Amino acid sequence: MAYDTALLVGVMFTVSTYLLLQKSFIRILFGFIIFSNAGNLFILSISGAPGNRRAPIIEGDRPVTAYVDPLPQALVLTAIVIGLGLTVYLVMLLYRIILDSKTIDTEKLFQPEPDDE
Amino acid sequence: MNSLVIGPFAIPLATALLCLFAGRVGVWRRWTVGISAFVQLVVALVLASQAVGQSPLVVVMGGWTAPLGVALVVDGLAALMLCLSALVSFVCILYSYLELQVEVEQPMRLPLMQLLVAGINLTFITGDLFNLFVAFEIMLVASYALLTLEANDRHIKEAFPYLSVNIFASGIFLISAGLAYAVFGTLNLAQISERAAEMEGQFSVLLVMLLLMVVFGIKAGVFPLYYWLPNSYPILPYSLSALYCGMLTKVGVYVLLRMLCTVFPHSLDRVHIVLALLAGATMVMAALGAISRNFIRGILSFQHVSQIGYMILAIGLFTPMAITACVYYVIHHIIVKSSLFLIGGTAFFRSGSDHLERMGGLWRLSPLLGCLFLLQAFSLSGIPPLSGFWGKYIVISESLGEGHYWLAAAALLASLLTMVSMMKIWLKAFWDKPRGEQAPIVSPRAQRGMTLIVAVMVFFSLCIGFNAEFFLKIAQSAADGLMDQSIYRESVLNTMGKGGTAE
Repeated sequence: MAYDTALLVGVMFTVSTYLLLQKSFIRILFGFIIFSNAGNLFILSISGAPGNRRAPIIEGDRPVTAYVDPLPQALVLTAIVIGLGLTVYLVMLLYRIILDSKTIDTEKLFQPEPDDE
Repeated sequence: MNSLVIGPFAIPLATALLCLFAGRVGVWRRWTVGISAFVQLVVALVLASQAVGQSPLVVVMGGWTAPLGVALVVDGLAALMLCLSALVSFVCILYSYLELQVEVEQPMRLPLMQLLVAGINLTFITGDLFNLFVAFEIMLVASYALLTLEANDRHIKEAFPYLSVNIFASGIFLISAGLAYAVFGTLNLAQISERAAEMEGQFSVLLVMLLLMVVFGIKAGVFPLYYWLPNSYPILPYSLSALYCGMLTKVGVYVLLRMLCTVFPHSLDRVHIVLALLAGATMVMAALGAISRNFIRGILSFQHVSQIGYMILAIGLFTPMAITACVYYVIHHIIVKSSLFLIGGTAFFRSGSDHLERMGGLWRLSPLLGCLFLLQAFSLSGIPPLSGFWGKYIVISESLGEGHYWLAAAALLASLLTMVSMMKIWLKAFWDKPRGEQAPIVSPRAQRGMTLIVAVMVFFSLCIGFNAEFFLKIAQSAADGLMDQSIYRESVLNTMGKGGTAE
């Protein structure tokens, strides 16, 4: 299971890096979505077998050892919410840039205009 | 009394929510935010009086003991940073009141500014790595929103590099926080420092630190990854760019200090030397960039990146004296840089443009503003006895002491180039004959108010320069607290609460 997850995370990072380096910023947007999901999956994979660590759960006075560590899941939940907010914001910003400059090509977007400083 | 520790985060957050939900823009809202900012300043000063030179103040959230719950820690450096952020945000808020009349103010500006301050303060006081990530996100999301809030159609595209680089950095931060949990089995900074000390010399510790270095290097604007900064800051209104330049990148510097000095073992030489070399490149490249620009905000933003290089160089040298110099430099730079942006703003509002080709004659219009500008420009480039000199002097003498002659040369060169770009502003905007039509944008009364605010800031920076010994002592006590990991660990892990310990 660990190897499958590692492979999947690796593939997702590869794809997202490829997309992030594209010219069209629609592709860059998808690159970010995949990138943040790859990060989330990576953290979730830590939650598996506790190994020599103990989950931070307390029952009475003694620590519990039989549970899978729930902390990474809590972290991922937070990260997903933040990632969703950022994606929505990025979509809106890109939509406005498209409306303003009529292009989705970052190279054209950042060409100096004649009246620029 | 310890419950005051939550104040620097809770007060701005409450103010932001109050402004969001209670009514429309109006004078009452300006009063509310202004008073709240003043209260934040008082709270920060009280915290500083308790924390500087003494053991850290710790509060555990929800009453759970440190490794289980999130701990908030205010030690000497955090208290200093809280004071500076409260001071700069108070000044910037007052300045923004003069910038725009109350009827045309963007309704979201003040709540977002308060949210930004809340995020910045939480990064200073948190004692938990994941909480640090959340604080970072609060700060960044507020900064994205502020950046695009009042940008016009031509400038809005500059927000895209800012956003993409920072979202990328946040992604790496998330991954490195996860990795830190996998390696150390905890996210509490005090406990991480305990376990990292046991695992000293292992590759995994180095890996986590390298990832964190990339993240905060991006955030602080270090050499290969700084290009997003000098192009995006100029699209902000002046009061906001003063706040951004004053605080946002310093958060990166602060967290680097915290991680390298308090959390990770002091033997990570490879990280230190990489930081020092990158800092050298940052200083020179960004100072050259500053000369290439010809509008005030652009020049100041590039200089800002170049100054970050000095602080990072001090961290990279990693001697106790260099860390002291870094803390002192942070204090000096926050005050000087934000006041320079405000001076640039006042010049802009007087002459109606901030493009150097369309300015001129400001010296005749307002000699006081010219004097203030010259004082801060000399201070930034490090002319004794102004505040910039002492920080630069210690950094350069430490790098000579450590045998990094090239880095010392780079620091001197960057300082000279800073002076050249400052003189560019001086000659074109202040000394030259006025060119073309110049129409002031704000009323004379607002102009006088702006000059007064700037004069107060310049007075502070003069105090720092002439009182260098006092401020260096404060910086030294903060740096000592930072370098001594055992005090931090003990005060965080020994705070009592529910749940016993996780061990």
